[in-house]
Amino acid sequence: MLDIKNLHVAVGGKEILKGLTLSLQPGQVHAIMGPNGSGKSTLSYVLAGRAGYDITEGSITYNGEDLSALKPEERAAKGVFLAMQYPVEIPGVTTMTFLKTALNAQRRARGEPDLDAIGVLKLVRAKAKTLNVSEEMLKRPLNVGFSGGEKKRLEILQMAVFEPKLAILDETDSGLDIDALRLVAEGVNALRDPSRAMLVITHYQRLLDYIVPDRIHVLAGGRIVAEGGKELALELEAKGYEHIVKVPA
Amino acid sequence: MTGITALGLPEARRNEAAALFRARGVPHRRIEDWKYSDLKSALGEGGIGAAVAQWQILHQPDGVELFDLTQSNPPEWVLANFARTTANTMSAASLALSKGGVALRVPKGVCITNPLKLDFTAAGHVRALLVLEDGASLTLVEGVGPGHFRNVGFEFVLGEASVLEHVRVSPDAGEAVLVEEMSVRIGAGGQYRAHFAAFGSKLSRMEVEITLAGAGAQAHLSGVALLDGKRHSDVTTHVIHAVGNTHSTQLFKHVAGGNSRAVYQGKVTVAQGANGSDSNQSAKALLLGENAEADLKPELEIFADDVKCAHGAAVGDLDAESLFYLRARGIPEAEARGLLLHAFLEDAVAEISNTDQRELVRTELLTALKAMA
Amino acid sequence: MSIAVETKQQVAEIGEKYKYGFVTDIEMDMAPRGLSEDTVHFISAKKGEPEWMLEWRLGAFKRWLTMKEPNWARVHYPKIDYQASYYYAAPKNTPLKQSLDEVDPKLLETYKKLGIPLHEQMALAGVAVDAVFDSVSVATTFKDKLNEAGVIFCPISEAIRDHPDLVKKYLGTVVPVTDNFFATLNAAVFSDGTFVYVPKGVRCPMELSTYFRINASETGQFERTLIIADEGSYVSYLEGCTAPKRDENQLHAAVVELIALDNAEIKYSTVQNWYPGDENGLGGIFNFVTKRGDCRGKKSKISWTQVETGSAITWKYPSCILRGDESVGEFYSIAIANNYQQADTGTKMIHLGANTRSRIISKGISAGKAQNTYRGLVSVYGKAKNARNYTQCDSLLIGGECGAHTVPYIESRNPTARIEHEATTSKIAEDQLFYCLQRGIPQDEAVSLIVNGFCREVLQQLPMEFAVEAQKLVGISLEGSVG
Repeated sequence: MLDIKNLHVAVGGKEILKGLTLSLQPGQVHAIMGPNGSGKSTLSYVLAGRAGYDITEGSITYNGEDLSALKPEERAAKGVFLAMQYPVEIPGVTTMTFLKTALNAQRRARGEPDLDAIGVLKLVRAKAKTLNVSEEMLKRPLNVGFSGGEKKRLEILQMAVFEPKLAILDETDSGLDIDALRLVAEGVNALRDPSRAMLVITHYQRLLDYIVPDRIHVLAGGRIVAEGGKELALELEAKGYEHIVKVPA
Repeated sequence: MTGITALGLPEARRNEAAALFRARGVPHRRIEDWKYSDLKSALGEGGIGAAVAQWQILHQPDGVELFDLTQSNPPEWVLANFARTTANTMSAASLALSKGGVALRVPKGVCITNPLKLDFTAAGHVRALLVLEDGASLTLVEGVGPGHFRNVGFEFVLGEASVLEHVRVSPDAGEAVLVEEMSVRIGAGGQYRAHFAAFGSKLSRMEVEITLAGAGAQAHLSGVALLDGKRHSDVTTHVIHAVGNTHSTQLFKHVAGGNSRAVYQGKVTVAQGANGSDSNQSAKALLLGENAEADLKPELEIFADDVKCAHGAAVGDLDAESLFYLRARGIPEAEARGLLLHAFLEDAVAEISNTDQRELVRTELLTALKAMA
Repeated sequence: MSIAVETKQQVAEIGEKYKYGFVTDIEMDMAPRGLSEDTVHFISAKKGEPEWMLEWRLGAFKRWLTMKEPNWARVHYPKIDYQASYYYAAPKNTPLKQSLDEVDPKLLETYKKLGIPLHEQMALAGVAVDAVFDSVSVATTFKDKLNEAGVIFCPISEAIRDHPDLVKKYLGTVVPVTDNFFATLNAAVFSDGTFVYVPKGVRCPMELSTYFRINASETGQFERTLIIADEGSYVSYLEGCTAPKRDENQLHAAVVELIALDNAEIKYSTVQNWYPGDENGLGGIFNFVTKRGDCRGKKSKISWTQVETGSAITWKYPSCILRGDESVGEFYSIAIANNYQQADTGTKMIHLGANTRSRIISKGISAGKAQNTYRGLVSVYGKAKNARNYTQCDSLLIGGECGAHTVPYIESRNPTARIEHEATTSKIAEDQLFYCLQRGIPQDEAVSLIVNGFCREVLQQLPMEFAVEAQKLVGISLEGSVG
């Protein structure tokens, strides 16, 4: 489903990713772990198509298509979803309005008819319950004044509503206490599906206690330096990154 | 002729200033910028006259160079910096009519800890120039002496990474009409901190135009006005972010009692392309007298999108709840009001870096507050 | 009233105008060029006005000759030749188009986005409208309902003939004949407008609207509106100028006067989308409008809401004179300036009475090479004990070549008054835009969404039908502004 080959990415002329290769199949959950500054967020942004992240070499193929040729909103319509580390506040736009606008924009791009307000409301309500997203939250402006936990829950709610094919979770655990983490992880696990692939990006192993990955890639210095099964996370936790990561000079 | 003309300073510029003033005449309330300060009517028949006001150095610390503008053979730094702009009406008048004034310089890299004390006295027009070369630093204490009508044209040139703290205290000047126009140009990394304390007069106006001309330049303005009787005080500022990554703050607190009038007009301009400009402006006034008036006009003029600019303004009375709280703790009303007034003004006073000067302004305010109570 | 019904009714009006009004208007075009006493006589005669009205106009005209065009606003435009025929020749002599095929497709695209039905599109584009829209019954029902309530809602020319006492009593009492250059000009030559009188204790049973009447009749360059809400009454009035016109610069100098007596309330909403000129700044309306409300009675309330997206130049300060004790004034504004548009708009809140309150919420959006200025005055007079004002003024810049300016005047002469003003300047953050894109929302739609969020407090003040249209308009007027 997702094939990243020898990916080099520069931000502001500085090379951050230096030849990353990764392959992800439907139904799989892969984790990307790595220390600060290893290029984790760059990877998530380049997959989502943020401006300013320039691919200087290599390729990203998504369902046989060159992903880098698509605009961010086209990628979203084709099922690429990025749960952001720092969800953005948009004052004055209620969460519900945002969900409806985004959902219908994606549907329109796929040639599906718009869902009316009631249809969207029903859909969102059903999914909101399990994630403990209150009706009141849906009426508030998007992410404005939300706690860290609320923001992350809302990201997962959006994932549930949009039903992406490829979900990238960028440091979804950051800033969460253990209860909030568990709630978010349960939400993610509920969305595991044979047709859906997930890329879980994290610094710490603890998220992977709850979202158990099929495979772990360790990212350092812009490259995958180690790969393995879920036990690799425990090894990292016990010995630290320095032990495993021998950053090439 | 003597004075500025004798200096060999460009005659043309002086003529230009005279022509500009002749064309515009004495500002009055129908002129937008002078809406709240009718200079023409305050001056009456006498007009602006042609007298020459005096300057006086009370303390000249070592390292500060001085040039008397009535003397001949001005040094290069005077020629290069004197009378750079003439666009301001009253500044043009001071340039056209003053026969002298003072020029001061702190040479490159010289840091002076003792404050320089400069007073303007007597009636008429006078010019001043202060140049801080790159890396220099100084505290300037400006005194406002008596005089029926005085018009001071003051230019500041701040070099790269220079630091000037300017404290100006304008005591209650009764029936005097006092105007001063300052123009400040700040180079990259330079910093200008100014505090203006005003007790007003028949008409007092302090006008300052600041150009943040180099990246990293900063201007921090603060001021208080405490007015009683029929006093008037007008602070008019214009901060121009000519280039990006410049920073300005303004904090003005005015108290108007009796029949007085406190005016603040502050304009912040961010030039096109001056991205990364950061400006904050706050002006608050308290009205104590039934017939007092406060006028606030905080203005933003923004031509760049990547900026952080905000302003706030408020007029009101002392907070009734705070007053009640203090009285409930046994503090008599008059004293409680005094405390709250002092607290209101204190924010702005706290902006003065120089400890001695801060204490001085504080004392002046306390004395005036007691007199008003 | 549902949109459909309203639309039908409006289209009916257009139909009527066409049948009875337009031919005459074309004759009017033959009137002498330029502006003189003769022109004033001509208009007055055309309207069949009584002598007192003619005198009033002539007085204004004499005064106008001595006045100078104001130049304090931050707007620049070529000198207007007041002797050119085009500015009185109110009804444009553009021949009616026979079908939509003759209309600029770009214009039609805009209408489509606005969700305006095809029939309306035809009307807006100046296509001949035939009897299909003859919904006289609808109009009659509408009139009956108002008559029943005693509400007078008619063209001002009709009111001058049929209700002279009311007009004499109130006309020019809020915006005096001598008020300003453009208002005085209007007093001399106004050609049409609306008159509303809501009697004591009556709550007007429906929103009154001149949705696109002005455009349809094309006499709107100098319209004059007078609304009187008698004691204890309520009226909500909507004014829409949503018809773009393909024209040279054209002067629009309207005057609106509102009078609220004791315990009365007037809510006045405007969606202004006059032709703003093209993307190079060519053409567009010069919109110099004087709007003022007088809270004459105690506990009266006047609320202005405006969405200004059109015009090449906007010069407009809907104001409130808070004369009655405990009266309330409100001003909610969205002003969008794109391309080469220039907007200088805001309000005046004049607190004269005790315990008067005012609230100002202004949202200015600048894009392209536009200049957008908020200019507002809050003035508290000596007798306005306990007056309160709150002002929030936010500017949003899109791109680095536009300007956003804020010029508030705050004057207080009463120690018990409290005035608060806050202003901020921001831009659409790149991360906000990216967040929307990532969730599948295309760029223009994302900009529209974010800007609508920015304007929310004001949009909420609009009646529902208008709010929907205004939201779309916000999006359309900013299309392509983020590169």
